[in-house]
Amino acid sequence: MTTSAPLPGMIEISIDGKSVRVPSGTTVFDAARMNGINIPTLCHLQNQTPVGVCRLCVVDTGARVLSASCVRPVEPAMKVVTNSEKVLNARKTLLELLMSDHPSPCARQEKSGDCELEALAKAAGITQPRFAKRMVVRGKDDSSLAIAVDHDACILCDRCIRGCDEVKNNFVLGRMGKGYSAVIAFDLNAPMGGSTCISCGECMVSCPTGALTNRGLAGTAIAADSRAEIFEAEELLQIPVFQGVSGTFLELNRGAIVKRRFRKGEVICREGEFGSTAFYIVEGRARVSISSPIAHVKTQGGAKGFFKRLTSTLVGREEDTREDEARDRTIPIDASVDLSYGNPVAELSPGDLFGEMTCMNFYPRSATVIAESDVVAYEMLRNVLDIMLKNKTFRAQLDETYRRRALENHLRGVPMFANLSAEFIAHIKESVELQRFAPGQTIVRQGEPADSFYLVRIGFVKVSENYPGGEVVLAYLSRGDYFGEIGLLSGGVRTATCTALDHVELVRISGDDFRDMVVRFPSVRSGIEAIAVERSAANKQRLQMVHSVPIDQFLSQGLMEAQSLLVLDLQNCTRCDACVNACADAHDGVTRLVRDGLRFDRYLVATSCRQCRDPLCMVGCPVGSIRRRNSLEVIIEDWCIGCGLCARNCPYGNINLHPFEVLADDPENAGRKKAAIKQKATSCDLCTHLKEPSCVYACPHDAAHRVDPKTFFAEMLSQTSAK
Amino acid sequence: MIFDDLRAIQLRYGFLPKAELEGLSQRAQTPLYQIHSVASFYPHFHLALPAKAEIRVCADMSCHLNGACGLRAELERRFAGSRAEEVQIRDVSCLGRCDRAPAVSINDQIFTDVTATNAEQIGRGALRNEEVREAHAEHGRVACKADPYGDGEKYGMVRQLIQTRNCDEVLAQLKAAELRGMGGAGFPTSMKWDLVRKQPDPVKYIVCNADESEPGTIKDRFIMTHLPHLVIEGMLIAGLVTGAKRGILYIRHEYAMQEEILGEEIRRCYQAGLLGKKIRGSDLDFDLEVFVSPGGYICGEESALIEAIEGHRAEPRNKPPFPGQVGLWQKPTVINNVETFINVPQILARGLDWFAAQGVNGSRGLKFVGVSGQVERAGVFEVPMGTPMREVIFKHAGGVRGGRSLKAFAPSGPSSGYLPASMVDVRLDFKALADAGSMLGSGAIIVCDDTTCMLDMALNAVRFYRNESCGKCVPCRLGSQKMTDLLVRWTQGSVSEPQYQADLALLDDLSQSMSQTSICGLGQIAPAPIQSVLKHFRAEIDAHVLKGQCPSGICFTAASRTGEAQRVGIRP
Repeated sequence: MTTSAPLPGMIEISIDGKSVRVPSGTTVFDAARMNGINIPTLCHLQNQTPVGVCRLCVVDTGARVLSASCVRPVEPAMKVVTNSEKVLNARKTLLELLMSDHPSPCARQEKSGDCELEALAKAAGITQPRFAKRMVVRGKDDSSLAIAVDHDACILCDRCIRGCDEVKNNFVLGRMGKGYSAVIAFDLNAPMGGSTCISCGECMVSCPTGALTNRGLAGTAIAADSRAEIFEAEELLQIPVFQGVSGTFLELNRGAIVKRRFRKGEVICREGEFGSTAFYIVEGRARVSISSPIAHVKTQGGAKGFFKRLTSTLVGREEDTREDEARDRTIPIDASVDLSYGNPVAELSPGDLFGEMTCMNFYPRSATVIAESDVVAYEMLRNVLDIMLKNKTFRAQLDETYRRRALENHLRGVPMFANLSAEFIAHIKESVELQRFAPGQTIVRQGEPADSFYLVRIGFVKVSENYPGGEVVLAYLSRGDYFGEIGLLSGGVRTATCTALDHVELVRISGDDFRDMVVRFPSVRSGIEAIAVERSAANKQRLQMVHSVPIDQFLSQGLMEAQSLLVLDLQNCTRCDACVNACADAHDGVTRLVRDGLRFDRYLVATSCRQCRDPLCMVGCPVGSIRRRNSLEVIIEDWCIGCGLCARNCPYGNINLHPFEVLADDPENAGRKKAAIKQKATSCDLCTHLKEPSCVYACPHDAAHRVDPKTFFAEMLSQTSAK
Repeated sequence: MIFDDLRAIQLRYGFLPKAELEGLSQRAQTPLYQIHSVASFYPHFHLALPAKAEIRVCADMSCHLNGACGLRAELERRFAGSRAEEVQIRDVSCLGRCDRAPAVSINDQIFTDVTATNAEQIGRGALRNEEVREAHAEHGRVACKADPYGDGEKYGMVRQLIQTRNCDEVLAQLKAAELRGMGGAGFPTSMKWDLVRKQPDPVKYIVCNADESEPGTIKDRFIMTHLPHLVIEGMLIAGLVTGAKRGILYIRHEYAMQEEILGEEIRRCYQAGLLGKKIRGSDLDFDLEVFVSPGGYICGEESALIEAIEGHRAEPRNKPPFPGQVGLWQKPTVINNVETFINVPQILARGLDWFAAQGVNGSRGLKFVGVSGQVERAGVFEVPMGTPMREVIFKHAGGVRGGRSLKAFAPSGPSSGYLPASMVDVRLDFKALADAGSMLGSGAIIVCDDTTCMLDMALNAVRFYRNESCGKCVPCRLGSQKMTDLLVRWTQGSVSEPQYQADLALLDDLSQSMSQTSICGLGQIAPAPIQSVLKHFRAEIDAHVLKGQCPSGICFTAASRTGEAQRVGIRP
C-alpha cells in the first residue's frame, strides 16, 4: 500500500485525530462538517460570509488561544481538536453567558421549540446560568406588521444583518452602539415598521433565537373556499411585485394571499362589513360605490300630543341646508379613487388596489365593489400587503395612481384649495412626497420647526397638544384631512404634535411649495388664515377646559373628557323613565338615552353623547363621516354608511344605529330596486329643533339637566380639592 | 471620508441631526444604517444635542488613584440644580493625561490637574456661552538620548537609504538588534516588515499606531511632542523597505497638540522633498498623512484601527490573515507603534553596538515609560531597557507620594495586571516581566500606595475593559459585563464561603473562556487585573467577600455603590 501524496490544492489536516483531506481555502468548520464532525455555532450560516462573533465554534489548533473554526482556513499539517475539555469548557461558559441574558423561553422557543441558543444550552447541560442576569431591559419593537423584534433575545450574531445586506441587498439593519449596550437597529434607529425595511423576512429566517419572529397575526390564511386559489411560494415569486421577497417568508405565510375570480355583477366586498383583506385587481373592471343613501338624519316635528312627537327621516342636502357644509366635496374611500359627493360611483381597473385601510388597520369596508366584467383579483392579508407596499415597483405604481386619480380631489377637498389653478395642481402633483408612518410614530412634534404641510391619505393621525401635566387630543384626522398649516403660517413652529395612530400614509407638501402656493393664490392665503384662526381658537377653547382638577374619580369616570353631560339628580329622580320615553318618542321610537351610567356624587350621568375632548368614536370611521367641524360638537356627516364602528368605539355607549327603510339596488335583479334596511349612526342631537332637549323637558321632577361638567361640578370639586 | 462628513455636520449643529444624516446617506450613497452604526459606535459623535457643559471626568487608573471619584461627586453636588440640557457630568475613559491627574474633558477640551473649583468655573463659563478651550502648553523640545541627530541635520538615514537602496541591510540590522514592537504585543519588527516586503501586491501601506489609550500610557504623546522627526523617518524607512507608498499616522483625537506638531513636521518634510513624489530627486514616492481617531481604546487594536481608517466600526478582525498580508483596504500593511518607528533610525544611525549598550542587565536599547498614579513626579522617562522597576519608580519618578509606602504597581496599565511591592526589583524587559506573570506592554507604570484597595483597582480595570469593549464577540461583550457584576457584588457585601468558592470557580471559567475565545487582545487580557490581584492580594479579597471588610476603607461605602449605578449606562 502506498500513501498517496495530497492532490494539488488539497490540504491534509487532522481533526480529533482523524486525518482528512480538504481543498485549500476550506475553513476548519467546513472541513469538520464534511467529515462528519459537527461543531456547534450560533453566528454561522452556510449562505452567509462567516464573521466569527459568537465564538462557539472555537477549536484548538495548538495556538496560544483557541480559533473560531468558521473563519479559520485550514493550513497544512494543522492538528485540530474540537472536543477537548478546554474547548468544551470555553464553549459552555459562552453559552452560559448568553443564557444569562436570554429571556428563556424566548418567543421562538415558545412558539416552535427551536431556539438555537436554548437547544445548544440544553445540550451542554446548562439549566441555571451562574452569571447575574441583565439589569437593563432592551425592549421590544412591535412596529412592524410582519416581524416582531425582541431585543432582549438578540445575541448579536449578525445573521440578520448579513441576511439583509448580503442575501437580500436591502441594507436596513446594523449594529448600534458599542460593547454591552450594543443592539441591532434599523436605519437611524427607527422602529422597524417605520424604517426602510421592506419586510422581506430574511432577517427573521436568519435569526437563531426569538429576537426576530414572524408575527402570528390572527388568521394568517384567508379562509379557503373552492373559489380561492392558493399561491405557492414559487408561483408568487414569478409575479413581479413579489420578486425580492424571501421565499421562506412566503412559505410561512402560505394562504395569506389567494387568487379570486368574480363573475360580472358579483359583489366583491360590501360597505360597512368588517374585513381584513385588500384586493388588487389583475384583470377586469369593477364599480366602486356607496349604496347607503347620502342624506341627513333630520328630526322634525310630527304628531301632536302632550309631548311634542318628533320623527327622524333621511333628508337630502337640498332640502336640509346646513351651514358650513362644503358644497362640492369628495367622499374619501379606501381605494385609489375618491367618490364625488354628487355621484358616488367610480371605476376600478387592473393595477388598482382597494381595501388598504381595512387590511392594514382592520376598519370596516368603506364602499361596495361590484364586478362590472369578469374580474380576477388577488386578495391578501395584512402581512402580505405590508410586504407589497414596501416593494419599490409596486409602491411606485400605487403612488402614481394616487397622484393621477385622487390627489387632485384631495387637494380640492381642502376648502381653501378649491381655487388652485390646474397648472399649479399639476406642479404639486409631481413635487409632493408620499410618506408612510408606523403606528405610534411621531409625524411632527410640538415646538419643532414647521417645514411642511400634510394631507392624510390613509389612516388616522392624532393631533394633540401638550400642556403642563398632560396631553389634550385636539382632533383625529383621517383621509382627506390636512394639517401643518398653522405652524407654517404662524412663526414656523409646530403648535401641536401629530402622531400616527395606525398605519398612516401622508402626502407631504414642502414648506417651499406651500409658501409658493400661498403667495400665488391670495384666496388660498385668506382661506388658510381664516381656518388657521378658527383652528387656533378652537384649540384654545379646548385647552381652556383643562383645569388641573386632581380628583381621581372625576377623571377616572371620564367626566373631565366631557363637555356636555346629561345628569339626573338622584335625589329628585323617581326612576319614572319619562326622559327615556320622551327621547324615544322624539326619535322614532329609538331612544338615544339610557337611564343608566356612572354615578358621581348624587348625580347619575346618563349615557348620552358627552362631546368628549378625546373623541375616540372618530378613530376608524372608514369614510370619515364622524368628526368635528370647527366646533366642539361631534357630528355625523350624511355619508355615514352605518358600519357601526363609532358605536363600538364610544367608551360610554352613547352612539346608536338607527335603522331606516330605503330602496336599494337588488343584488338578485340587477337594475331593480327593492326595499332594504339601512342604518345610520346617531348620537344625542340635543333635540336641537326643540327649545330644550326633550328628556329635560319631559322630566316631571326637575331631575334631568344638560350641563357643562366643569361649571356644574365646579363648586363640588373645589370643595373636595380643599379637603 | 465618513468621519470628515460627520465631523462637519457635528461642527455645524453640535450634534448629528437625523435630517443631516439622511442627506449624507443620499450624497454618499451609503445606507442609513451604516452611517448610524458608525456614528453610534464612537464616543466622539453625539446623536442628540449635548448639554451646554458636557463634563467628563476621567475614571481610569491614574485619575482614579488621584481622586476622580471624589471630584465627580463634588461636581455633581455643585451642579445639582442644573437641568440636564445644561450640564451633563459623566465618566470618560482615559484621556491620556495620566501624569497630570485627574483629567477632565469639558466640551471635548481637556483639562489637567483639575480641582472641583476650576472645573466648576469652566463649566459655568460654558453655561454663559463662553468658549471652552484647553491650554496648549508651550513645549520646549527635550533632548532625548534616542535622537541620533541632536541639533544637526535630520533624516540622515532616509537620505542614506535612498542612496544605497540597501533594504536587506536595514532588515538585517533590525533583526540583529532584536527590535520588538513597543505597543504591547512585542512582535519582532523585522519579521513584520519582511512579511509585507515579500507580498507581491504593488499597493501597500505603512500605519503608525499613535492611538495609545491604555490607562497610564503617555509615552507616545511625549515622543510625538519631542521626536516627531524620528516617527516620520521611521515610517519613511518602513515605506522604502517594504515598497509602500503611503503612510497614515493614526492619532487619538485627544492629542490635538501632537497632531499639530506632527502636521508641521510633515509639511516641513514635503517642503524639503523628503515626502511626496520622487523623494529627494529619486524615483521613490512616499506620502504621509495624519488620521485623527474618532475615539475609543479599541481603535488601538491594529485591525480595529484599520477598520476605523476605512470608515467602519472599529471592530477587530479575525486573524489570520494578519495585516501584513491583508490589511488596510485589503492590502499588505505594516502597523507599528510610535516608539517602534523611532527605534529604527536610532539603530541604523548608531549601529548595533550602541543600541545594545543602551540597555542594562542584559537588555538592549532605550525605553520610554510613563509613570503615574501615586508618585511624586509623574511623567515620561527615557530609561535603559532592563532598568529595575524600583529605580524607575523611586529614582526617576521620585518615589511614592507623600512618603507613603509602595503597595503595588502595574508595569503596563490594566493589561499587565498588578504586581506587589515585593516584586519591585523586576526589570523593565520583555522576558523578565513575562516571567513575573506580567508584561512590558507599552510601559505604562502605575503606582499604588498603601492606602489602595486592590479589589477596587481590579474592578476599576475591568470596568475600563467593559466600557471599551467593542461588543463584536460574545466572550468580551458579555464577559466583561458579567465580570464587572461579580466584582461589584464582592465590593457590596459579604457572601457565604460556599458562594465565594462558587464565585471563584465561575471567575476562573469566565477568565479562561474570555482569554481563550475573544477575538482580540482586549477581551483576552481583560481578566488579567483580577487574576493578578487574586494571585498577589488574596487575603484582601477574602476580607471583602467573607467578612464584608475593605482593609483600605474604600469599598462598602455609599459612594462606591452609586459609582457603579451611574456607570451602568455607558452611552445613555
